[in-house]
Amino acid sequence: MTFFKKPKKLIQEQESPKQKVTSQENSSPEKSPKEQNLSLDELLIKVKEPFSSTEDLMTHSIELPNDHNKIVLLYIDSIIDKQIVQSMILNPLFETANEINFESFRKMASIDLKKQTDFNQVKELLLQSNTLIFTEDTTSFFSMVTPVNTKRDITEPDNEAIIRGAHDGFIENLSINLALIRKRLKTPKLTIKYFRVGKETHTNIAIAYVDNIADPEHVKEVEKRIKSIEADAIHAPGNIEESIEDKPFSFFPQILSTERPDRVAANLMEGRIALVYDTSPTAHLMPVNFFSFYQSVDDYNKRWQIGSFFRFIRLFSFFIAIGLPAVYIAIVSFHFEVIPFGLILLIKSSLEDIPYPPLFEALLMELTIELIREASIRLPTRIGSTIAIVGGLVIGDAVVKAGLVSNLMIIVVAITAIAAYIVPSNEMSAAVRILRFPFMIAAATLGFFGIVFGFMILLFHLCRLYTFGSPYFAPLAPLNLADLKDAFIRAPFWKQNTRPKEVHAQKMDTTNHTRKWDNS
Amino acid sequence: MNNHTITHRQLFFLIVQTQIGVGVLSLPYSLFVKAKIDGWISLLLAGVFVQFSILAMWKLCDRFPQNTLFDILPKIMGKHLGFIFKFIYTLHFSIVSALILILYNSIVGKWILFETPSWVIIFVMAFAGAYFISSTPREIARFFVLVTPLFFILFGLIIYAYTDVHFLYIFPIGQTGIMTIIKGSSDAVVALLGFDAALVFLAYTTGTPAKKLKVISFASFCVTVMYTFIVFTTYIFFNPMEIVIVPEPVLYMLKAFSFSIVERTDLIFLSLWIISVATSFISYLFVAAKGIQSILKLHHHQSAAVYIALFCALVAIIPNEKLEIVTWNKYISLVSILFSGISPIILLLISVLRKKQEKGATAT
Repeated sequence: MTFFKKPKKLIQEQESPKQKVTSQENSSPEKSPKEQNLSLDELLIKVKEPFSSTEDLMTHSIELPNDHNKIVLLYIDSIIDKQIVQSMILNPLFETANEINFESFRKMASIDLKKQTDFNQVKELLLQSNTLIFTEDTTSFFSMVTPVNTKRDITEPDNEAIIRGAHDGFIENLSINLALIRKRLKTPKLTIKYFRVGKETHTNIAIAYVDNIADPEHVKEVEKRIKSIEADAIHAPGNIEESIEDKPFSFFPQILSTERPDRVAANLMEGRIALVYDTSPTAHLMPVNFFSFYQSVDDYNKRWQIGSFFRFIRLFSFFIAIGLPAVYIAIVSFHFEVIPFGLILLIKSSLEDIPYPPLFEALLMELTIELIREASIRLPTRIGSTIAIVGGLVIGDAVVKAGLVSNLMIIVVAITAIAAYIVPSNEMSAAVRILRFPFMIAAATLGFFGIVFGFMILLFHLCRLYTFGSPYFAPLAPLNLADLKDAFIRAPFWKQNTRPKEVHAQKMDTTNHTRKWDNS
Repeated sequence: MNNHTITHRQLFFLIVQTQIGVGVLSLPYSLFVKAKIDGWISLLLAGVFVQFSILAMWKLCDRFPQNTLFDILPKIMGKHLGFIFKFIYTLHFSIVSALILILYNSIVGKWILFETPSWVIIFVMAFAGAYFISSTPREIARFFVLVTPLFFILFGLIIYAYTDVHFLYIFPIGQTGIMTIIKGSSDAVVALLGFDAALVFLAYTTGTPAKKLKVISFASFCVTVMYTFIVFTTYIFFNPMEIVIVPEPVLYMLKAFSFSIVERTDLIFLSLWIISVATSFISYLFVAAKGIQSILKLHHHQSAAVYIALFCALVAIIPNEKLEIVTWNKYISLVSILFSGISPIILLLISVLRKKQEKGATAT
């Protein structure tokens, strides 16, 4: 309990800058209750005004047995935990109230109890799961965070499962998410800054970075972009991502989304900045490069040669997933000559009875795969296997038997589909899947020539893409041979002595001297 | 200007990529026509000549740090004459870009896309060019560095020819006589053109003058060696009677190889060669766009990108007969030697004689 309270306290302390903003918004000409010198009942009517019609706003009046002063608890029933109210407010109050007054209760009560004088904050505090305590003294009131415990268990994120390594993942609660990061980075330099976006939704966001490593310019830039967001509602992290990314028209994800705290912690130590959200288990990392999307936590728990091999396979899959159907289309419709003699009869016989041009064949099958994929996400797992059978076996087998699609096309499409799902990041996988369609069309119109132009434009697009001022395709463009150690391959831990250059970390040296004992 | 700069290493790749281009396929043939099987000596000689131009070019740009050719011209020639020459240079660079399109179109039309109308082939490249030059030199340089490893694949394919070569074909060395060899080197200079892009790109390069010179000079040296290797290989692969009838010896050579996984190696080679062509085209187009920017006093060269690419594409569509292409190639090449090979020396002389330089401006 105490462990989780720490971040909670942080929220409270950091609330003040944002609340200044709200108080500016509310700067209506009406006078504050203090100046009007209201009685307790009048004050309550006043503060309840913005919530006029909601029925879960509760008031609870208590008359103290000792001095017969009235105190009133005000809270929104649905978002507070009544047990906390009972144990943290009511029980201590009645234990002490027999002999002493409210002030002494305040002195001995929890650290979460705060004296407030700004009545403009009432609305804000109520919405942030506070229980407010009003006394006869109408110049001030007290607040205490009493959030209802609706946390789900910390589980491994399904979409980023790994074989070896930590199996915990973020959940829909900001303070727990931050706790998961802090648990891994027990350094005073880990800095958390809170922001609240969305005029009506008041979504809590935290920026996390390691102060002596992350580039202050980047931090400033991220803060600037987040502060500039103006919207009634920010529902999903996707809203934030789209608001702060550099090139919204690019197919490529420019911010790394992850649900793994270990991944966030590792990236923070490389000098990156994380955005952690309340109400969403996704964290965003920036600035990232193309190759960050191809790294998996698993790589670091394997032997480094094996990790390097799999990383290489993943990068290779990028080209297969984008280019394979295009190359196949180009070969069968333009460049039959490149097929070696032994294969030519095989391909010819497979293609002979197909009535459709290869492009149509490919589009048909690729779209079918996308349909199956989309359907299997929505379906519960029990029906999911049905889709796999219907989609995979029935469609795959039947279209060939029906003579609509050639055998080879099925093979090509299957390999492509597998290659696209090798990417550890779902966003990058989606980008790759979309990109294969323009390549297929280019191949069907101009053959190899079209594919080459496609790749040229794609690579150049990657070369000119920047995320938060750092080049996206680093360390390939600009070429930095030293940084390839964690991009193309996964160099052994004791070789990873520097942080990636494009992150502009303040300290380049990771001080990895883990094999000092080995003097040979 | 700050995020437009390139490092001297990037300049190396820029020059190499600009130099290696459309000429590589037909170079052995065009040299053979002039200097017979001593063509490769002509090429080496041309490499030496080019070094002089490079030296002049470097000295010229060194006198005016951070100035492109188009900034230098008015400074050494006066406002009006400078403007005229700015215009002529811009036209020259755009015509060279158009020539690259013409030659590339004729090869692609002959080897890969027989049925596709030539304007499609030309416009695809022009579109790519417009997209590329709408960025900064730094991004272009990054891309050029990125695609350089492809040369190793091209190289590997050519090395494969050594399974079937006859060194006797090149003997006796020097049989055609010194004069023929020197005459042949003028054609070889055309193939090495591309170092003239340094007239603009040097302005964006950071690093000491000595390093810059080393880099351009070394780039040109590398290209000369690589070209000589290719020419030499084709000369020992084909016998002298054969080369006369194969206008693209490199491709014919590769066509003869087949591996168990790929039958027509030349198609793979050509696909990668397109990237080399594109890089040369992009460099020249960029230089031309910079010229337009300087003439029209535009804020960014990006706004000229689409128009200059369109202009080159339209010019490139004009010649449609094979003979016409040969004529265009001949005249534009001659003019190129004048503008890129000789004029840097003349410009340097003018600036030395008129004592024009901005050496002190380096600090700013």
